[in-house]
Amino acid sequence: MKHFFWFAAFFILLFAGDRLGGYFLQRQVDGSQFRYSRLYGGRAACDILLVGNSRGLTFYQPYMEEKTGNSTFNLSYNGLPMDLANALIEDYVDQYPPPKMLLIDITICDRTNDELLTGFLAYSTYSPRLSALIRTKQAKIWWAGRVSSLFRFNNEIFQRALYYRSRSDADWLLDRVISPKLAASAAENAYDLEPQPYLVQQLAASVRAAQAKGVAVHLVIGPYFPGFQVKNLDQFKSAVEEATGLTVYDYRAALPDPSLFGDYMHANKNGAMRYIDLLLGDGVLKAGD
Amino acid sequence: MIFNSLAFLIFAAVFFSVYFFLKGRWRLVWILVASYVFYGWWDIRFLGLIAFSTAMDYLFGLYLADTHEPGRKKRVIIASVVMNLGFLSVFKYFNFFAASFAALLHGFGLEASWTTMNIILPVGISFYTFQSMSYTIEIYRGEMKAERDLLKYATFVGFWPQLMAGPIVRAKELLPQFHVERPFEWTRFYSGLGRVLWGFFKKCVVADSLAPFADQCFQAPGSFGSLHLLIGVVFYSFQIYCDFSGYSDIAIGMARIMGYTFPENFRTPYFSRSFSEFWTRWHISLSSWLRDYLYIPLGGNRHGKLGTYKNNMLTMLLGGLWHGANWAFVFWGFLHGLYLIVQRFTTPPWRRLVQWTRMPAWLDDGMAMAAVYVLTLLAWVYFRAGSMGGKSFEVANTVLAGIFSGEGFSWEAVINKFQVMKGFLLIAMLLSIEISNIRYHWNQLQLISPAWRMAAFAGLLWLIAFLGTFGANAFIYFQF
Repeated sequence: MKHFFWFAAFFILLFAGDRLGGYFLQRQVDGSQFRYSRLYGGRAACDILLVGNSRGLTFYQPYMEEKTGNSTFNLSYNGLPMDLANALIEDYVDQYPPPKMLLIDITICDRTNDELLTGFLAYSTYSPRLSALIRTKQAKIWWAGRVSSLFRFNNEIFQRALYYRSRSDADWLLDRVISPKLAASAAENAYDLEPQPYLVQQLAASVRAAQAKGVAVHLVIGPYFPGFQVKNLDQFKSAVEEATGLTVYDYRAALPDPSLFGDYMHANKNGAMRYIDLLLGDGVLKAGD
Repeated sequence: MIFNSLAFLIFAAVFFSVYFFLKGRWRLVWILVASYVFYGWWDIRFLGLIAFSTAMDYLFGLYLADTHEPGRKKRVIIASVVMNLGFLSVFKYFNFFAASFAALLHGFGLEASWTTMNIILPVGISFYTFQSMSYTIEIYRGEMKAERDLLKYATFVGFWPQLMAGPIVRAKELLPQFHVERPFEWTRFYSGLGRVLWGFFKKCVVADSLAPFADQCFQAPGSFGSLHLLIGVVFYSFQIYCDFSGYSDIAIGMARIMGYTFPENFRTPYFSRSFSEFWTRWHISLSSWLRDYLYIPLGGNRHGKLGTYKNNMLTMLLGGLWHGANWAFVFWGFLHGLYLIVQRFTTPPWRRLVQWTRMPAWLDDGMAMAAVYVLTLLAWVYFRAGSMGGKSFEVANTVLAGIFSGEGFSWEAVINKFQVMKGFLLIAMLLSIEISNIRYHWNQLQLISPAWRMAAFAGLLWLIAFLGTFGANAFIYFQF
């Protein structure tokens, strides 16, 4: 009998500790300056909403705000897929006054990333859309998050929320100059873009949701390292234009100087600033708009 | 079936819920059936192989026991060894030797006309083959009697907790345990459960969390800076330790719950002060197998210095080859053989230096541990690259060249810093628990204090939920 009591006490401790730990960690996430904590904490109102995968981080916010005089909010994340971005964008437009502009780097439709979805379990309690998406794509993980509160914080998104607990992530950018060795072999490397009709449809849904709220939407392809080949990009651009009815501004070869890149896929801080200058010059971004 | 999977949780629940209600032979039948389900879950076709190997060694054992003519006994033991090594050669080494021989012929300007065969490596074959061989060899040597009960012998070979990746349990250690009824004991249950949870912590929390960073370093070594690669190699050293020792912990714990005792397979190997000590702390069941069935029969240290060096090197080369059909594994064995030999030269002057300088013991031990760890790390680079096919040496050399180049030896050049920070946090947790365990013997403490047990078990489960990586990643040693 004493073993029965031991087990009963053990499971009570296990459950209570898990829930208490989960509550404590949720508080840390809620109080963070991390972008998604701000999004779901009502602290993300902006004039320009920026979206992309890691390439979307080249929308360097401090410089963009300085040049345009508008506030910005960036939903981009490394490997962010468009279906997840769509949930975030729709949550944004539902919860905030419409921004003046939504700027999306369309290479976010490159590939799905169901693994990253698990990272957003920490925010799933605030968003039925996120919760439904995770449940559809990662049912086991979703259930695990229901069983264990601690499990919801077992991911890099939570670590980042902790890291940005008391600091801004608005200047989050790969800031280095590509190594000469890597730069020299750019032409020998190629990236196979994997445009997915499902993700293009998700992008179109985001565009429609934003436009329905009167938000101006601009689609762009950010710069790639000069000479670096990205396969299927033209075909992909046409598919996006057809699905959204919008023109895609193509900056893939806009930065010819190799020193403006951190690697083949990402402009560094100087490159990001030059890119923003080009967006301003072409009227995609407007000063004081 | 792998331990860190939902299928295994269901398997274990069904197995144990029936196991303790059975007694005598029915219990052995249940273990055997469960073991074959456990093994067949991976690939049902290879059940025939394990059954055939079991039946043959059972018959060889009986024949060895019943014959007293030395010449005939010798022929039988040779037949048993040839059969077991034959299976290994066909399933594990055929392509390796065929490709190596073709490369050799190519070097002489000749072209081989054959191609390699598409052979699937049966999981755990190296483990159960060595286990079976130990049985017939020990009967041949007169160190144990033949098992006349096929059910008991088949259960010994197929015993599911250690079937896939060890520990390699000798026949004389495990078979006698099947002759005694094993009633349920709460002490064994709690002790075993504690060990299982610790194994899951090592595997799911430490090994699988370190794996992505280490894998990335070996998949594209040219893309990373010196510090990044060095961290990758350090992470791999802890990944493989926690992966393999985690499996052993789970196996030992499961067997303990069932009432059986397995030998220890790891004893904090990275705290070794010499390579001879390292091999008494790392994969103990394999190193002691190689010592007893290879090193000592070769002559051990009984034939002078040169003979000892030769035997050390041969044992380590074959130990390397046991791990996988790739020259990089052999080279890993060569490095460890070399370390063992060089250590014999360097130890006497080092001891004299320690005495002469009156070096404190902590410094002496610390420097020795650091030296052993760093050299082990170097060897791990080739071991990790060994599973990368034909490019293994190229990969290993690129990783080492990258580390020693010093290019990008800065924190800024490290990519995936969150993984790095988490990795070091987990390593620090592991080491602090292992170091404190030397003094506090956590698994003993939990048996004395129910409150401590409750806190320890819950704590481990919270850590697994909060920090674990759950991709049902197979254990590294399954491939061997």
